[in-house]
Amino acid sequence: MSNPQILMLSAFLAAVAIWLMLPRGGARGRWAGAALGAAALGLWLSRTHGLGHWTADGVFYALAAAAIVSAVGAVTSPNPIYCAIWFGMTLLAVAGLLLLVGAQFLAAATVLVYAGAILVTLLFVLMFAQPEGRATCDRVSWEAGLSAAAGIALVGILSAAVGSAVSPTIAAQSPQALAAGVLDPRQTARLGEELFGRRLIAVEVVGTLLLAALVGAAVIVNRFGGRRRDDQKS
Amino acid sequence: MFSSRRHDGLRDVRAAVPAAAKRGIMFLSILASLLKIAVLLGLLMTAAAYLVLVERWIAAWVQDRLGPNRVGVPLTGVRLFGLGQPVADGVKFMTKGEFTPSHVDRILYALAPIVIFAAAVSAFAVVPLGAVAPPRFWSEWFDVSGPIALSIAPGLDMGIVYIFAVGSVAVYGVVLGGWASNNKYSFFGAIRSSAQLISYEIPLGLGILGVILVGGSLRLDEIVLHQARSGAWNVVTQPLGFVVFCVAAFAEAARLPFDLPEAEQELVGGYHTEYLGIKLMLFMVAEFLHMVLAAFLIVILFLGGWHLWGLTGSAEAVAWPTALLRAVVLLTKVMAVILFFMFARWSWPRFRYDQLMNVAWKVMIPWGMINVVVVAAWMEYGGELADWMNMSNIPGLAIVGWGALLICWLATSIIDPTATDNKPRPELPHINDCVGQVPRT
Repeated sequence: MSNPQILMLSAFLAAVAIWLMLPRGGARGRWAGAALGAAALGLWLSRTHGLGHWTADGVFYALAAAAIVSAVGAVTSPNPIYCAIWFGMTLLAVAGLLLLVGAQFLAAATVLVYAGAILVTLLFVLMFAQPEGRATCDRVSWEAGLSAAAGIALVGILSAAVGSAVSPTIAAQSPQALAAGVLDPRQTARLGEELFGRRLIAVEVVGTLLLAALVGAAVIVNRFGGRRRDDQKS
Repeated sequence: MFSSRRHDGLRDVRAAVPAAAKRGIMFLSILASLLKIAVLLGLLMTAAAYLVLVERWIAAWVQDRLGPNRVGVPLTGVRLFGLGQPVADGVKFMTKGEFTPSHVDRILYALAPIVIFAAAVSAFAVVPLGAVAPPRFWSEWFDVSGPIALSIAPGLDMGIVYIFAVGSVAVYGVVLGGWASNNKYSFFGAIRSSAQLISYEIPLGLGILGVILVGGSLRLDEIVLHQARSGAWNVVTQPLGFVVFCVAAFAEAARLPFDLPEAEQELVGGYHTEYLGIKLMLFMVAEFLHMVLAAFLIVILFLGGWHLWGLTGSAEAVAWPTALLRAVVLLTKVMAVILFFMFARWSWPRFRYDQLMNVAWKVMIPWGMINVVVVAAWMEYGGELADWMNMSNIPGLAIVGWGALLICWLATSIIDPTATDNKPRPELPHINDCVGQVPRT
C-alpha cells in the first residue's frame, strides 16, 4: 500500500477506537478501543523515520506515545477532573517534544502558561462545579460518532499536510546543520529579538487585548456583585 | 604560540578518535548525568533531613527549650547531640502502616505527593555551583572543550524560566492532594494554597525581571558571572526587586508568615490532613526543598552567587581549588538565607487571608512593576544620567534603586493600601443569626 492509503487506514482505525472508548451511556468498549488504537498507532509508526540515534529515537517515541495516550485519555475519561489531569500530562509530553527539538523557551512557556496557570484555573472551576461528584449528564459523550470522525479527520489532514510539506526541506539539510540549529546556545535570546523586534506591534496589540479582557472581567464581576448586595439589603 | 600548538594537538587527538570511541563518549556523558543526578538526590535528601533537625533546634532555642538532643548512634548509648534524630524520623515515617482512607480518590491520592516531590527536585537541575576549567588530561581523553559546569543541565539557555515552569507544576500536587482527600479541611487548604501560589508567582517574576534586564541572560550562571564581573551584587543596585522577590519566595515556599495552607488552628493539617507515612514525608520534604530552592535563588540572583570580593575572582572557569572555594562560599550564603527563613518562622505571626492577598496585589505587584520600570529606564537613559551626575554606572543605578525603594516605602506607608476595617457592620446579618439557615442564593 502507498503512504496516503496507510495514513487513511490508520486514521479510520483511530476514529473507530476513539468512538469505542468514549463514554456513551452504559455501553463502552474500552479495551477493544485501546487495542484498535494501538493497531492504528503501529500503522502510523511503520511510516515514520528514525532520528538517527537510539537515544534521540527512544526519547522521541516515549514522549510521543505519552502525548498521544494522555490526549486520548483526556478525551475519553468520564471524570472531568481526570480529563484535566490527562490534558496536563499531554502538555508536559508536548513540552518535552519541544525541548527535544531545541525550542527551550517554547517548552518552558507551554508548561508555565498552559499547565501552570490556565489548567489549574480550569481544575478549580471543575472542583467547585461538582463537589457532589456524579452528574450523569456531564459524564456521557454527546455525538460520540461525529466528534470522533471530525477529530480524526483533522489529525489525518494535518499529518498528511505536515508530512508532505516539511520532509523535503528537512531531508535536504545535513545532520550537522540541523544539530547546529537545534543546539544554538543563544536560541532564547534570538526568539526574544524576533518577538520584540520585528513583531513588536503584534505583541503589544495582543497584550492590550488581554488587558481589555481583564478589565472587562472585572467590570462584569463588579456589576453582578453590586446587584447581589442590593438584593441582600432589601 | 603555545596555545595554538596545544590546540593543534587537540585536533589531532580528536581526528584520531574513531567513531566507536565517540559512541563511548555519548555513553559516558549519559552516565555522568545519571551520576550527577544520583549525587544531587542524595545530597538534597540528606540536607533536607538535617535541615529539619536544625529547624527543630532553632525552634527550641527561640522557645527556650532543649530540643532534640538524645538520638545518637543507633543501638549504642552514644548521643552525639541528637544528630541521629533525622534517621529516627525517616525510619519512623517509612515503617508506619501504609493506610489509605476509604473515602479518597485512590489514584489522585497516590499521585499528588509524587507530583509535588518530582517538581521540587527537578527544579534543582539548572542550579549552578560554578564551573571548573578542565585539566589537560580531561580534554585529551574525552572529546570535550570548555569549562565543566557543576550543574546537571549546563547550558540550558532558558535557565530561570525552567525553574518557574517546574515550580508552577508543584501547584498540582497541592490541588490534587486536597481534592482527592475528599475532606473539607484538605480542600480549603488546597484552595488557599493554590490561590496563594498563583498570586505570588506574579511578584516573583517581576522581582526577577530587573535582574534579567541588567544581567542580559536567563541563565543563572551568566547572572552570577555578571555580578562577579561588576563587583556589585544585585541587592546593592536593585533593593526594591530584592524585597519583592524575597517576600514572594517566602510565600511560594509557604513558610511562616505565609503558611496559610496548613494553618493548624483552622485547617487541622491543610491539604495533607489525610496523608500519613511515606506520602506525608514526600509532602514535607517537598516543602523543605522549596525553601532550599528559594534560598538558592535569592543567593544566586541577588547576593552574588559564589562571588565574594577579593576571594573567588571573577573568571568564568577556574582551577579546582578556587572552584571548591566558590562552592563553599555559595553554600555558606545559602545556609545563611535558610537560617533567616527559620528565624523568620518564629518571629512573625501568620497573615490573615485578606492581608495575604492585599500584600500580594496592592503592595508587592506595584513595587515589582516600579522596579522593572526603573531598571528599564536606567538601561535606556542611565548612561546620560550617570554622565550628568558625574559618576560611573553602578553607583548611579544603586542611588536610583535605593531612592525608588525609599519612595515606594514612604508612599505605601502613607496610602496604607493593606489597611482593613475590622469594625462590625450592622447592616449585615450577624453570624449567629445565620447558623443553621440555608443561605439564599
